[in-house]
Amino acid sequence: MTDSAYTLLVVFLGMAVAFAAAPLAIAWLWSKRFAPRKPGTVKKDVYECGLESSTKNWVQFKSDYYLYGILFLVFDIETVFLLPFAVSFKSLPIGAVVAMLVFLLLLVEGLVWAWRKGVLNWK
Amino acid sequence: MNLSLFQSEIAVVLLGLGVLLADLWLPSEARNKLGYAAAAGLVAIFLYGFRGLLIDPVHVSVFPIGGSKFGMFIQDGLAVYFKQFFLLAAAIVLLMSVEYSSRFTAGISEFYSLTLFALLGMLFAASSNDFVMMFVSLELITITFVVLNSFQRNRMASLEAGVKYLIIGALASAFMVFGIALVFGSAGTTNFEEVRALQKTLAANPVFLVGLLLVTVGLGFKIAAVPFQIWAPDVYQGSPAPATAFLAVGSKAAGIVLLMRVLFGAVPMLTSHATKLLIVVAAITILYGALCAIPQRNIKRLMGYSSIANAGFLLLGVAAAPHEGLTATLYYLTGYLFTVLAAFLVIAVVLRETESEDISVLHGLGHRSPYLALALTLSMVSLAGVPPLAGFFGKFLLLRSVMAAGTLDSSYYLLVAVAVVGVVLSIYYYLGIIRAIYWGGTNPDKSVLRFGITTKVALAICIAGMLYAGVLPHFLVQTASNAVGSSLHPEPVTAQTSAAR
Repeated sequence: MTDSAYTLLVVFLGMAVAFAAAPLAIAWLWSKRFAPRKPGTVKKDVYECGLESSTKNWVQFKSDYYLYGILFLVFDIETVFLLPFAVSFKSLPIGAVVAMLVFLLLLVEGLVWAWRKGVLNWK
Repeated sequence: MNLSLFQSEIAVVLLGLGVLLADLWLPSEARNKLGYAAAAGLVAIFLYGFRGLLIDPVHVSVFPIGGSKFGMFIQDGLAVYFKQFFLLAAAIVLLMSVEYSSRFTAGISEFYSLTLFALLGMLFAASSNDFVMMFVSLELITITFVVLNSFQRNRMASLEAGVKYLIIGALASAFMVFGIALVFGSAGTTNFEEVRALQKTLAANPVFLVGLLLVTVGLGFKIAAVPFQIWAPDVYQGSPAPATAFLAVGSKAAGIVLLMRVLFGAVPMLTSHATKLLIVVAAITILYGALCAIPQRNIKRLMGYSSIANAGFLLLGVAAAPHEGLTATLYYLTGYLFTVLAAFLVIAVVLRETESEDISVLHGLGHRSPYLALALTLSMVSLAGVPPLAGFFGKFLLLRSVMAAGTLDSSYYLLVAVAVVGVVLSIYYYLGIIRAIYWGGTNPDKSVLRFGITTKVALAICIAGMLYAGVLPHFLVQTASNAVGSSLHPEPVTAQTSAAR
């Protein structure tokens, strides 16, 4: 062990894995003991907000949703960069404000472009 | 921060955004013409950029991270040389896409602006002085090319090209980013100049060497060198002709400039110990490209294999390293730009009219359009390396530099032999295209090929460039030599025994 910083990282990694795996393992054991599997026709049915399902679940899904997901990214990225910017705002030079404005304008340009292209119109 | 260093990058960004916005308010018939505006803008930036080539090459680096005294962006002779190269290539590619635009069902202005954004990535690649900067610029190039390659959405082959480029490109990026992580982990810096200062101690560190090797894997993918060439033929075949042309010229040159920056900017000492590896890669790449091109019947696929073979020739200069080798690579690349763009301008016009991409579509081209036939013939002759065109002098300079390196390490003589075999093999399939043009028999389609005045001008520029570079190479060689001398630090090949490094 030459570098103790790495040992700490390994311990951290192990703890992270354990932290994620332990609740899953406990939940699995719990269901083994208290809720054994008893499949039935109703239970195996597609879940539709609690109503009895009326159709098969092999239906076409409207893939237009992905556009909203992509456009959401514009705002997402904006937040990710704006937050650290806002936190250290007081100690930043004027150039940083200009740079952030340019960045925001670039993102807004993307939104304007998508808007004008009619991406936001629900068909 | 000195914004004037970024003037060409800023201008290209504004041009790209301008094209996107103009598209929103222009009637759809006028959108095709946006390509002319974009190309005109690039030509203006190109002409303005000559200022930087004529005055003494400055050597400024900006954007330092932390307390470093070196920046991630460098503006030196090599950067200026390659920026001029990329701007010229992109301008011609834009003119080619206007000519080809009737084959795109939708979104032609997006094609123009994506070309401009890919160009932006190349400009930043030319100025990279940091592994992180290199990665970001390469990603900008790769991601825009994924879209450009699959732009003919109604053609299965084009989508396939896009997907293949995406998957293999992502794999190469993963290798590269892992390599950068290892380099950073062992060197504690990602700056090329700082790595160079540390290279004596780093040379003994296996983690650093593995990291460096993985970085070169990523770059090998960009220039399509064996064993990372597997994507090239399919992607070249499926992509729309202008995208293929830009991939063959721009993307490859970006890989070469970054390879030079890493090998001779960051770790020149290590490179001088690892020439055996470069020799083997160059030799196999030349042979693979030349041999696989022989049976091809699809023009674009043939150009794909030819581009692999040319990657091998470009690596000749890198393997022979010092000054002359790198100068020869720069010169060869410039000749390659004119030659390949001329070929693709003709291919774009011919393929626009037909679904087939078989060599037989060239039959009777001499009657359908003597000018196109002449341009394609000259370009093939130049690729084959026949004097007095650019391809001949480029190959001559490369082979001479490799011969000169042979006095120190005799394995270079073997490389010369392989390269000569590659040249002889390539004559066969390049002349095969000329044969198809003039003696290929009759073509059922005897219509005269029509193309715009801008295509005519672009072709004239390419032909003039081929002839100028081949007949009066002095200025170009001198400029390339200055660019290399002011920016890179190649070390002479060390006479090595076994176990390179």
